[in-house]
Amino acid sequence: MTNFTRRDFLKVGAAGTATAILAGCSQESERWVTLEPYVRAPEEQLAGIPSWYASTCRMCPAGCGIIVRIMNGRAVKIEGNPEHPVNRGKLCARGQAGLQLLYNPDRVTGAARQEERGSRKFKAVAWNEAINTLYEKLSAAGSAIGIWLGSSTSAHLHDLFARYAEAVGAPPPVYYDLYTGLNGYRALLDANAALFGQAALPTYNVARADVIFSFGADFLGTWLSATAYGVEFGQFRDQPYGKRGLLVQFEPKMSVTGAKADRWVPIRPGAEALVAQALLRLIADEGYGGSERAERAARLAGDVDLDEAAAACEMTREELATLARLFAEAQHPLAIPGAALAGTGNGTQAVAVVQLLNIVAGMLSVPGGVQFPPEVPAGLTAPQPSSYAEVQALLERMKAGEVRALLVHGANPVYDLPPEAGVVEALQRVETIVSFNPLVDETAVLADYLLPDRVYLEGWGYTVVQPAFGGMPAVSSQQPVVGPFHDVRSTADVLLTVARGIPAAAAALPWTDEVAFIKERITALPKGAQGGEDAEVRWARFLQHGGWWPETAPGSAPPELAAQGPIGVLPTTYDGDEADYPFYLHLYPSVLLGDGRGASLPWLQSAPDPLTTVAWQTWAEINPVTAEALGLKDGDVVRVASPHGAVEVIVYEFPAIRPDTIAIPVGQGHSDSGRYARERGAHALQLVGAAADEAGANFTWANVRVKITKTERQQALARLESTIDPGPDVHVPF
Amino acid sequence: MAEERQQGHKWTMIVDLDKCTGCQACVVACHAENNVPSPSEDEIIRGRANHWIRIERYWEGEYPNVKARFLPVFCQQCGNAPCEPVCPVYASYHSVEENLNVQVYNRCVGTRYCGNNCPYRVRIFNFWAPHFDPPLEQQLNPDVTVRGPGVMEKCTFCIQRIRRAREQANVEGRPLEDGEVQPACVQSCPTDALIFGDKWDENSRVAKMIPHERQFKLLEHLGTEPAVYYLKGGETHVGE
Repeated sequence: MTNFTRRDFLKVGAAGTATAILAGCSQESERWVTLEPYVRAPEEQLAGIPSWYASTCRMCPAGCGIIVRIMNGRAVKIEGNPEHPVNRGKLCARGQAGLQLLYNPDRVTGAARQEERGSRKFKAVAWNEAINTLYEKLSAAGSAIGIWLGSSTSAHLHDLFARYAEAVGAPPPVYYDLYTGLNGYRALLDANAALFGQAALPTYNVARADVIFSFGADFLGTWLSATAYGVEFGQFRDQPYGKRGLLVQFEPKMSVTGAKADRWVPIRPGAEALVAQALLRLIADEGYGGSERAERAARLAGDVDLDEAAAACEMTREELATLARLFAEAQHPLAIPGAALAGTGNGTQAVAVVQLLNIVAGMLSVPGGVQFPPEVPAGLTAPQPSSYAEVQALLERMKAGEVRALLVHGANPVYDLPPEAGVVEALQRVETIVSFNPLVDETAVLADYLLPDRVYLEGWGYTVVQPAFGGMPAVSSQQPVVGPFHDVRSTADVLLTVARGIPAAAAALPWTDEVAFIKERITALPKGAQGGEDAEVRWARFLQHGGWWPETAPGSAPPELAAQGPIGVLPTTYDGDEADYPFYLHLYPSVLLGDGRGASLPWLQSAPDPLTTVAWQTWAEINPVTAEALGLKDGDVVRVASPHGAVEVIVYEFPAIRPDTIAIPVGQGHSDSGRYARERGAHALQLVGAAADEAGANFTWANVRVKITKTERQQALARLESTIDPGPDVHVPF
Repeated sequence: MAEERQQGHKWTMIVDLDKCTGCQACVVACHAENNVPSPSEDEIIRGRANHWIRIERYWEGEYPNVKARFLPVFCQQCGNAPCEPVCPVYASYHSVEENLNVQVYNRCVGTRYCGNNCPYRVRIFNFWAPHFDPPLEQQLNPDVTVRGPGVMEKCTFCIQRIRRAREQANVEGRPLEDGEVQPACVQSCPTDALIFGDKWDENSRVAKMIPHERQFKLLEHLGTEPAVYYLKGGETHVGE
């Protein structure tokens, strides 16, 4: 409007005023001026008023329900979903920190290509081009593909990948990462398959138990679902009529669970099965707990050297017999086989022997006992973690050049397996590696393409809850609570798009997008606790309430016993000669960093470890007596070496560890994975060999011996606790 | 000056040490809720770890009969608070309505007298401006200010949640219900070791639990009258 003069302006203004007055007289609603903002906020967003959306936590595979607080379109707080059967409104530190995955400064912001593997020089690629490239690579590779998934992969994506693999004739996806490895998922599944013919993860009803014997199960720290077991533990300590339960923890180094135990038994690493056998033998021989339990024990107990078992627990034979009697005579005793068992060479057998204690006590499928997962209707199943043998098979295929394209989602194989497993060498033989992970982790650095998936707060999905707490079958919903923060695409949608062009896969993956697939699967579920007569209402309530579960838990019959006699356990052997390597190595997942994926989040890095109060670092826990003998003190940097490798860590004098054992947490020692994780601490998996256990369930990370040598260096421990000696007169007041 | 029942609320926390597993869920929840910056490794080494709630760990006994005890410590919201009378600018004062020790950040001039006088060491001084690597600032809770350098800060019992719940109750024309206000730490605690409520509301869970046979207060002999009750850990003996 170049010729718009002052005179014109006045004319228009006068006309406008006249119209406004006329309109004002005619219709009431037009009397008010409507202010139109430049940007129109979404209808449900009011400034200053939070909205809450239900979803599922994916910081570990337990499947806790979350509700996310959204203020002006930003996610600002994650809390537990009070309706959810797993966590019942509670949430652990790792779950709280999920926000920092969404807002991580080092997230991959879009599709990218790396010309030279390991160069860390990523060039942005348009998504259409990236998807086309993926299509070309996958269609050229045909069945010569490998799919590696992990515990942050949603069940729907696992399902789609499995369908794709089947359609093109490739082996099923491998679902394995350090989380499933260090938690011993596969050994637990295999042991239960051997005992009951049912490969399932049971839950242990801690809340209603009287006496719990936990064999290395850190169920309050990291094992399976610390939040769900935390809720149960609160109830365990607060039972009717003032009963508070008795927890006996067998482990070489005190864990969070050990700290809360009424009796902490510093068992020799690898002797758990021996002690469980001894308890069975004592119950059988002494007839503890009545004839029924004693008879069952007599049938299932093997031959065992009781003195050796007692010595492994640093107690007398009488004390061990007292424990056996305590267990057998309790109304609701419970024996929990933990993760540390799964890392020994005989892990699956050891888990089974501990499980025999529950069978002897008759605690299967009863309140306060072992509960087996009920079936989820509509054919929804939780993805089962792969065995280490399956992982090795994939690595062999890769090394043989039989894998032309490797797709990695939710796992970080380079970090998740010991160097001797040869993951890096195997990756070199793969033509195309695609990482779907949100951060440039150790595996993504060796990838050719980064096609970042949405993180769980931005994406769709669901989790079939495993293990199912309270015997409640549940499918937990995951919906985008915020819009994608970066230019990232849902991997499931990318896969569906690619599959459309591949004739073999097109028929197997006919869905237009992932939401159509999820909706189809979910609406097949019957009416649950959320109600809803028709499918649309059920779908809406599934998202609104955070999932599907029935109103009451269906009861389950005790499983048929497949094992009728004693279970033989191979003696634990150790890597490294006792003379050269005098100490047992005890590895454990960090309470805060988990299997290492928490290391990229500053909230978790800066929160102190519960028992040592150390943050940001990797330390070695050494009994003060041993430290004195070796001339070591807090803050000395030592070199811990095994037959497989060596790491340098800081000494922490820890009073609750066996003098012949060194404990190192897993979780630090990343070479990538963002600025908070990189070049920090040591990765203890370098001390471990890559041999499989006798059942092929896991690599053996719990039967290694190490030696320690002092270096000249010192490093102050970043710890919260006071280092001032309070002197002998100060007593803890509680 | 000791508190007498007058008006408003007496917000009270009960910490059941028998249930606290030291899991740090409350610590991270508090960082998220209250925009507390993450201390770096160097700052922790210098003893400047800033957590509004910390879980102290005590060792008891010798190997093999060694025990670890956890003690969550945060501002005790004293009825007779040593931090209040020493503040020259009334930045640290006692809220009549909520019966809490309140810190007015924009009044604080950073004399650190209150921190010196606090026997529980729960007041944290901001030596530097807080920094959040972008886009981590997106995680900040808009209900809570980000404290600048030279300012003392501490646990508030999540007063923003108290205010929000009370405003909601006012809008609906009803009194606050027990359990309606949950600080972030209480909300996250898996084992239910933390219990929060108004002690002056006779029907509240805290009012019903107190007095408790296991109860004690931290440094009770100082006469600070904390609003936090700790319940001593229990014992179950093996085989006796």
